[in-house]
Amino acid sequence: MLEKEILKEFQDIVGVENIDDGEVMTNAYAYNWCIEFVNYMEDKEPIPFSPIPKAVILPSSTEEVQKVVQLCNKYRIKFKAQSTGLGPWNQPSTDNSVILDLRRMNKIVKIDVKNLYAVVEPYVSGAQLQAETMKYGLNIHMPGAGPMASTLASHTSMAGPGFTSPQTGYSARNVLGTEWVLPTGEILRLGSFGLKNEPDWYSGDGPGPSLRGIMRGWVGTKSGLGVFTRVATKLFPYPCGTEYVLKGHSPIYDFKIPDFIRAYVVDCKNFKHLEKSFIRIEEEEIALICSHMSSYAVMAIFSYTLESLMDKIAFGSMKSPLVIVIAARTKREFDYKQKVMDYLMKELNLINIIGTKYEPESLFYAECLRTNLGYHGFIATGGFQSAKGQCDSAALCLRAEMKNKPLKQKYIEKGVIANDFGEGAWMTSYESGHFFHMEAPTFFDQTNVESVKGMGEYMEESNQMDLLKHLGVPFFIEGDHLHNHWGPHLMNYHNWLRKIKKIFDPNGVSDSGFYISGNEGDV
Amino acid sequence: MDEEEYQKMIKRCVRCSVCKWIPQVQIKSQKYASGCPAIDIYNYHPYSGGGKIILALAYEMGRIKPSEELRDIVYKCTVCGNCAVACKYMSTLEPIEIMMKLREKLVDTGCGPMPQQKTYIEAVKKVNNPYNEPHEKRMDWIPDDIHLDPKAKVLYYVGCTSSYRRKEMAIAAARIMNEAGISFNVLQEDEFCCGSPILRTGDSNTFEEILNKNLDIIESKGIETVVFSCAGCYDTFKVDYPLSRKYDFKVKHTVELFDELIESGQLKLTNNVPITVTYHDPCHLGRNAERYEDWDGDVVPLMPLISINIPPKPKRTGSKGIYDAPRNILKKIPGLKFVEMERIQEYAYCCGAGAGVKSAFPEMAIKTAKIRIEEAEDSGADILVSACPFCSTNLQDGIMDKNSKLKYFDISELILMALGLEPEKLKQATAEVA
Amino acid sequence: MNNDNFLQNLTKICGSQNISQDPKDLKDYSKDLSFLKGKSPLCIVWPSKSQDVTKIVKLANNLKFFVIPVSSDSKFKHHGDSLPKKDNCIILNLSRMNKVLSIDRKNRVVMVEPGVTFDQLVPILKKKGLRLLLPLNPTASRSVLSTALEREPITIPKYHWDSSDPLLCTEIVFGTGDLFRTGTAAGPGTIKQQQKMGQAQVNPMGPTQFSPFRVIQGAQGSLGVVTWVTLKLELLPSTQKVYHFQSDNIQDILDLQYELLKYRLCDELVILNNINLACLLKQNQQEISELVRTLEKWNLIYIISGRGPLAKDRISYLEGDIDEIIAELGLNFSEPNVEISDKEILHFLNEPCGKPWRMRLKGAYQDILFLTSFEKIPKFISLMEANYEKEFGVYIQPINQGTSYHVEFDLHYEPENDNVVKTIKEKILDIGNRLMDSGAFFSRPYGIWAKDVFSHHSAETIDALKKVKKIFDPNNVLNPGVLCFDD
Repeated sequence: MLEKEILKEFQDIVGVENIDDGEVMTNAYAYNWCIEFVNYMEDKEPIPFSPIPKAVILPSSTEEVQKVVQLCNKYRIKFKAQSTGLGPWNQPSTDNSVILDLRRMNKIVKIDVKNLYAVVEPYVSGAQLQAETMKYGLNIHMPGAGPMASTLASHTSMAGPGFTSPQTGYSARNVLGTEWVLPTGEILRLGSFGLKNEPDWYSGDGPGPSLRGIMRGWVGTKSGLGVFTRVATKLFPYPCGTEYVLKGHSPIYDFKIPDFIRAYVVDCKNFKHLEKSFIRIEEEEIALICSHMSSYAVMAIFSYTLESLMDKIAFGSMKSPLVIVIAARTKREFDYKQKVMDYLMKELNLINIIGTKYEPESLFYAECLRTNLGYHGFIATGGFQSAKGQCDSAALCLRAEMKNKPLKQKYIEKGVIANDFGEGAWMTSYESGHFFHMEAPTFFDQTNVESVKGMGEYMEESNQMDLLKHLGVPFFIEGDHLHNHWGPHLMNYHNWLRKIKKIFDPNGVSDSGFYISGNEGDV
Repeated sequence: MDEEEYQKMIKRCVRCSVCKWIPQVQIKSQKYASGCPAIDIYNYHPYSGGGKIILALAYEMGRIKPSEELRDIVYKCTVCGNCAVACKYMSTLEPIEIMMKLREKLVDTGCGPMPQQKTYIEAVKKVNNPYNEPHEKRMDWIPDDIHLDPKAKVLYYVGCTSSYRRKEMAIAAARIMNEAGISFNVLQEDEFCCGSPILRTGDSNTFEEILNKNLDIIESKGIETVVFSCAGCYDTFKVDYPLSRKYDFKVKHTVELFDELIESGQLKLTNNVPITVTYHDPCHLGRNAERYEDWDGDVVPLMPLISINIPPKPKRTGSKGIYDAPRNILKKIPGLKFVEMERIQEYAYCCGAGAGVKSAFPEMAIKTAKIRIEEAEDSGADILVSACPFCSTNLQDGIMDKNSKLKYFDISELILMALGLEPEKLKQATAEVA
Repeated sequence: MNNDNFLQNLTKICGSQNISQDPKDLKDYSKDLSFLKGKSPLCIVWPSKSQDVTKIVKLANNLKFFVIPVSSDSKFKHHGDSLPKKDNCIILNLSRMNKVLSIDRKNRVVMVEPGVTFDQLVPILKKKGLRLLLPLNPTASRSVLSTALEREPITIPKYHWDSSDPLLCTEIVFGTGDLFRTGTAAGPGTIKQQQKMGQAQVNPMGPTQFSPFRVIQGAQGSLGVVTWVTLKLELLPSTQKVYHFQSDNIQDILDLQYELLKYRLCDELVILNNINLACLLKQNQQEISELVRTLEKWNLIYIISGRGPLAKDRISYLEGDIDEIIAELGLNFSEPNVEISDKEILHFLNEPCGKPWRMRLKGAYQDILFLTSFEKIPKFISLMEANYEKEFGVYIQPINQGTSYHVEFDLHYEPENDNVVKTIKEKILDIGNRLMDSGAFFSRPYGIWAKDVFSHHSAETIDALKKVKKIFDPNNVLNPGVLCFDD
């Protein structure tokens, strides 16, 4: 709870109904997915609740956010901003914190068709934005988290690989002009949006250095360095015809499959051939989706219940599966892409399971187009998290997967994580194969303490292996403890990051639980 | 949902927030992407389906206690069921059942239900209807020209709202049945509240008493089929009663019956009704009217942490609601142009009236109705049609409050127009359009 | 500062053969082809490795002298960004660090030191079936690395996924003298250890929650000295088909390029007015002037390409789709009256040039370059035409996959004529300011109008940039006087 006078000051900014410091509200906001193993890893009780925020605040504009942040500075109260709010990163790290739920900031500011970008506020979901851009034949980059996640959060503050990354890249790389309430309360407008005359959103870089480099890295600052209130993100051509007809009833809707879309599921048999195939296919710049998954995950993306997953036996024995979806706007383009795929299948000695051993529901294609595939990850145990995540070459990603397999097997044998034969992986390329991303989704039971502990231990061990074997930095390296552990192995980057934090957040009010504190051990 | 299942399930929300939206793949615009009136109006996460699961967990863990704050959040929900549909697109969680259980727990502690709801529950106990109207006036709606057959095996269960507030619906239903030559009767002084408004507040004990009383009466009369024009009564009889007590008679909503009668030629829709109509799926007739299927299978551990149901456990996904019948009817009315709203069928947006909200939180009810009215306006329709007296009242209140040009009719009223039985009403409808 | 001590130290670091205080050298480095006047540096040093750079920058911090990083020996420097603007500067000439450190065909990436030039790298890559993402006909002697660091636009906008492309990972010596590697190159492990695990330093982002490469890029050497970079490459096509459309209406040209880029149908795509196109195609004033007369004002050049056994199929699908788009747009373009061979066009798109092509018309030029959006381009052209009575070159480059446009006005002049030079100087300042007043975004502030750029930006931007400077170069030893760091 807030002191009465302070509460009053917040109320004056957002209105009485838009701040709540009651027991029920603040407790509800202390809950999140995966907080239980974050707690465990921080030597706390593995319950799904973080520290309880002092209050929950619902600002409706950048100016309100600014004033709230200024007030936080005045009273040295930390703030944690959240958009659609999925995941432990949305949680405060201390009970001297307020949550800024940005739900009321939900406008699509503009869809600039001619300059191929959209400007959104925090609470515009991927599905909402995509539905609107489709009307112009345009597409967005959506993160693997799914269409219900905030486009702004993915682009400004989180990691950002997605199923359509071969064509739509990585969220951090799609950022243009941005509006950013700094931890001190100043409003920084990046790039062309910072112009005094005719500010516009088309560029986020300069004049001179690009402050996008401070705003976020490969992963974002997760509200550790202020609040992003509006962002311009690149748009892409919609991969096929935009007529979207989905009849029938939930969950297996009947989708009118667009004329020019086709799926391929192939087994590359081993990692070496998988790497070769992956790179060859991506070099041809034809794939909308090109993802490597474990055989279990392939079964899952075609299933809508755990029970029906068991029917997908055609995929179960695959060693190194690759899922490719091609889509085209015209018949010419489609014919060409199919021809390339035919050629590659022959060259790489691959057989497409789709159309021979298995025919997916039409809904599968809708889920490809609307990036709803990641959600299938929840059907096994209801709980999953990616234990690690790397991004560089295909070889690095595959090696990280390969090395992880026996480790994962160890924890499977302990019975603390679910058995996906140790193969659990999702890997995609960005930008037609210029980078690759790999993560290791792992199924655990968040209601089972042993499983939660096991997941935490496995994740720590897996990350430590990456460190020692030079397999790249996992994407959940955040918070003082992990930064301090990894920094010395990575050119002491943590010292620079800490300097950024210190100079941009002198009062340390932007909750750094999932970022870094200005002073070591400040959290 | 039994206590054991409840205790397990409340730990499983992943806070993904799909419960706030219609099923993700169905989202076709920013404006009509949302599926939950409570979160739309009150914004804070606990108002969502997932948020209520968190409240349940926090409550069970002793982190929060019964309080007005908790009660308000838990009761500011129309139990429309969109969250359950959206969640169960992939998951197996039951946000609505969890929320209902939480309401029951609040009732048990004396914290729930809302004071206004307590008042109408008392009214039901006293005069058999939540409107506190005299029981003896329940059948006042029946015009002299309606033919009832005391020996009929078909019972028309009118319900409180149609009897006292939306008489036009009851009259229309009776006239159409007469026109089709259906022999039916009503319970007269033996008709009481179905218990729905009580059940939705979490007062399961009172509800239990009511359902037993109602079933005793109907069963004693040798009824074969009970027909409802009220979606709420229909849902309660069809879905909720069997959870406590099985019965042998059939239940039908009037849209199902009329659709059959039109199809069989017993009703001939010959009159031109030149209007553009959109249809609002009542939650009680749509997604919530899907029965629980019995499942007597086994939970078989497949491997550590993963168990499967053998045979697969049926999942209520909202797919078995009554969606085709009303649409079939509308499409068969001569001259009528039927257009759909964006959110339909199992992912229809709620009218805002249900589960005691209209009485306890009228501002929420009206705000929700106005959201739905706007969607109907955007569909290009002149007339909004539905098949539930509760939706009827609240949507018409919304139309008035919003000063909308839209006109509301119950689907049975359109049938009357198409049968040529309501020339005045038709004139009224078409004049509005003109 | 003790001069002897300072020189001794530098000699110790680089060796006497890598230091010059030759007055001719010092004079050379105190001027360039911009209108800015530089001061004479104290000396020029040529480090040979990153460690030398580290030591020099640390020395600069200790002895309080300034370091101006220069990547190549190219004589063609036009933007004044590497001129000493203060006393006590040394020139850190990185041109002797000119190794191509690795070429990775599989991962389409090359690692180069600062001294690697276009004429050095382009042919090597070609042999391996790779191509660099080139700016428009770059000068052969220019540093590939510094071109990428300056965010110079590349001519294949569909491969311009991020404004930072083709720059990937970097090794930097920050203004503090600390060596750092950005992106996945940061670690864990040395570059060798990383490569052993299959890593290719292709992810520029990070490490973790910041991306220092982005602040280094565009900083004009004022935050760090970059000692190597990795650059994104593409595969060399086996077939390229050239299209050249002309119109007197810029809007028609813009409309077509929009569709081509939106659907990622072409590779190279540039818009040039007749003057700049003629400058690219011809070598001297007379030839250029003749060609200018025969060309229509606006020229759209794009290339479609194919590779491997299905190259023809690709070309044919692209042709079909593009024809359909042109027909749908209902646009009529004319073919050039004069024969311009595909080879000539491909030459300037695929190869570097010996002397800057912009100098060919009159021996000198000044460029005004900025970013803007699709719909504002015609407005800026009109503004330029209204305020500059003479003919000028125009180069419009869609960048970042068509989300913004690099617009460049090139003012050609005879450098010998003092009056002309004076007029041009005045015009440049005046027009630059008018463009800024009208909303042009000078994202790369150079030359005499660099200071004005910042007065057209919000105070918060400048404040944030200064904070960044304070972090990475707290003693302001690196290239003082550039950007907004000098008050």
